[in-house]
Amino acid sequence: MKKPSEEKKYMLEMSTKEVEELMAAIRATSKKMTAEYIERMRKADKNRPKAMQYFDEIADFEKREKELLAAKQSGKKVVGYMCLFAPIELILAADAIPVRVNSGWYDASKLGDRVVPVEVCPMVRSTIGAKMIGLSPYLELSDALISGLTCDGMTKLSEILSDYKPIWAMAVPRLKDSAQSLDFWREEMKTLMKQIEALTGNKITRGKLKSAIELTQRATKAFRRLQDLRKGNPVIMGRDAMLVNQTYMWDDIKRWTEKTEALCDELEERARQRNWACPPDTPRVMVTGTPMIWPDNWKVPSIIEEANPQGVLVADELCSSERLLYDPVGVDEWTMDDMLNAIGERYLMASTCPCFTSDDGNKDRINWILNKVKEWKVNGVIYYVVRGCMLYAMEYMRVKKVLDHMSIPVYYLDTEYTREDVGPLKTRVEAFLEMLTARVDI
Amino acid sequence: MITAGIDLGTQSVKVVILKDGQVLARSKAFSGFDPAEAAEQAYNEALKKAALSANEVLHVTATGSGMELASNANSTVSMMGADAKAGVYLFPTARTVVDVGAEEARAVKCDDKGVMVDFVVNERCAAGAGAFIEAMARALEVRLEEMGPLSLKAERASSINASCVIFGESDVVSLIHRQESKPEIARAIFDAMADRISSMMHRLGIVPDVVLVGGVAKDVGFVASLKRKLGIELLIPEFPEYAGALGAALVAVNRVKTV
Repeated sequence: MKKPSEEKKYMLEMSTKEVEELMAAIRATSKKMTAEYIERMRKADKNRPKAMQYFDEIADFEKREKELLAAKQSGKKVVGYMCLFAPIELILAADAIPVRVNSGWYDASKLGDRVVPVEVCPMVRSTIGAKMIGLSPYLELSDALISGLTCDGMTKLSEILSDYKPIWAMAVPRLKDSAQSLDFWREEMKTLMKQIEALTGNKITRGKLKSAIELTQRATKAFRRLQDLRKGNPVIMGRDAMLVNQTYMWDDIKRWTEKTEALCDELEERARQRNWACPPDTPRVMVTGTPMIWPDNWKVPSIIEEANPQGVLVADELCSSERLLYDPVGVDEWTMDDMLNAIGERYLMASTCPCFTSDDGNKDRINWILNKVKEWKVNGVIYYVVRGCMLYAMEYMRVKKVLDHMSIPVYYLDTEYTREDVGPLKTRVEAFLEMLTARVDI
Repeated sequence: MITAGIDLGTQSVKVVILKDGQVLARSKAFSGFDPAEAAEQAYNEALKKAALSANEVLHVTATGSGMELASNANSTVSMMGADAKAGVYLFPTARTVVDVGAEEARAVKCDDKGVMVDFVVNERCAAGAGAFIEAMARALEVRLEEMGPLSLKAERASSINASCVIFGESDVVSLIHRQESKPEIARAIFDAMADRISSMMHRLGIVPDVVLVGGVAKDVGFVASLKRKLGIELLIPEFPEYAGALGAALVAVNRVKTV
């Protein structure tokens, strides 16, 4: 008989044998998919930047897993987070390591079906499934999890994961354009700060917080430089840029920044030589919607860039890619209060997450998309939604109306965490790209 | 100029041969387990009907979900692109083309030249397409062709949920248990399909004139339900199931001109 304290609230008991078998099978598939997608990305660009080599390596989770293990052995703490509302500067300032734990494994989502119904967002089901067998090194190594209570899926996911990890939930106000929301959010951050300090035993001082902010500011600068390079003729395939963006979620931030700067140097040289990643008249596509998590959920960007006719991703509005780092923490004076205010504003006010609403709808998201369309010369938008991703699904009509007004074609592409629907998805994407090319021979 | 279009659909392959804007021949074959073979057979049959040899055809364009399997095609075009082209060719005033096939329903918006400007496809489920009618005809123990005329005899409307073929079937069974008449159930089936397809069309935005093509456009029951639902007239060509192949043959004409 188990003591009530050992009883799991949600999670199911599984035999060690079953866990081991599933783990071996899913990890093998994951390895295969990682290798396959990287190979396909290499093939997509004959002169793929040499600096991508580093990101290919860090894309295989094992390298970072070893580093995190070593860091933990030396006494460091790892703080996982599920939404990019987690103010990672606070984690860094306490000498802890931030890492995002959302899951992109398709097969793990089927495991999650044992705990929650299939109607639930597959990213949430997959994260549950990953936890059931210990698949995600980042989730396993986390000493605590920060959960931004944004969509319903994220909210309940953190509750389910509380069967294993301390959860530091942060209530995200759904109306952000108000003084009381910002005050409330600042209080949430202060609570989090105390939790981080208690876990790590390290005090978050003014000097340490300043260094942490400066670290992410440099990362943001490199990040923006990369996105700016995508405004002109393509010097990098969209999948490569997306992978660079996404590795920020688990890589060492200082190293990531250096490697991204090196990549940008190479891309600038490439632009000077007019050595394009694909023909300059390739339709320029932007994706928006549900996050796409490496390694398994690389399906849609791969379809777009391998389609006939081909498209190239030049921009996105995804919390797994360009929304990660686009906004810097803007500090006026380096006082503790001012720094906390600046962090609070960067995470709350700058977010375009569809969990927000106002009497004018989620206008920040609309503005982001319009800005991207204009500045990055986007020819068409793929609105990507996985089943169960209610907030993104519901905002579609608003986005479509705005884009219709600008005569920018947009296509709603709905899918699941599955490899089986590639055929029909390809048909739709190719029809969309055919429309964008507006080929004279149709 | 002679061109051909091959539409490799999920259930059948259709071929159209075109000469100077006039249809010379049409032919059809079941896709079956070897759609490539079926496509070749249908193409050869169409050539025979038109009394042509293969080398007299300047360009062959394939479309449909199996378009890559057409070994004798010179190029391909998306199903939506082909629909738009055919719709405006058949009815120059058409600006929206709705295609309801065996496994898929789609709506395409197009310009006056038949170039698509927007499209929408039914969500991954055949409940809004021909396969649904087939499954329901089995449940009602009537032949597929009888479903339409039967539904027109309904005196009132009952309703079922067509979110999914399987759930739809269980809904039909409960109507049978309630001893609803066959005409009423048949109409409920078409109404449910029309519901789904009209919602899809509204998401796209309906710009008249609206052309209805695809094999299901031949079903009087479905057409009546969709007209009722949309409250507008639908233009239906004489051979709606050949629209994809016709569109592909028209695209082939342009491909010859631009080469």
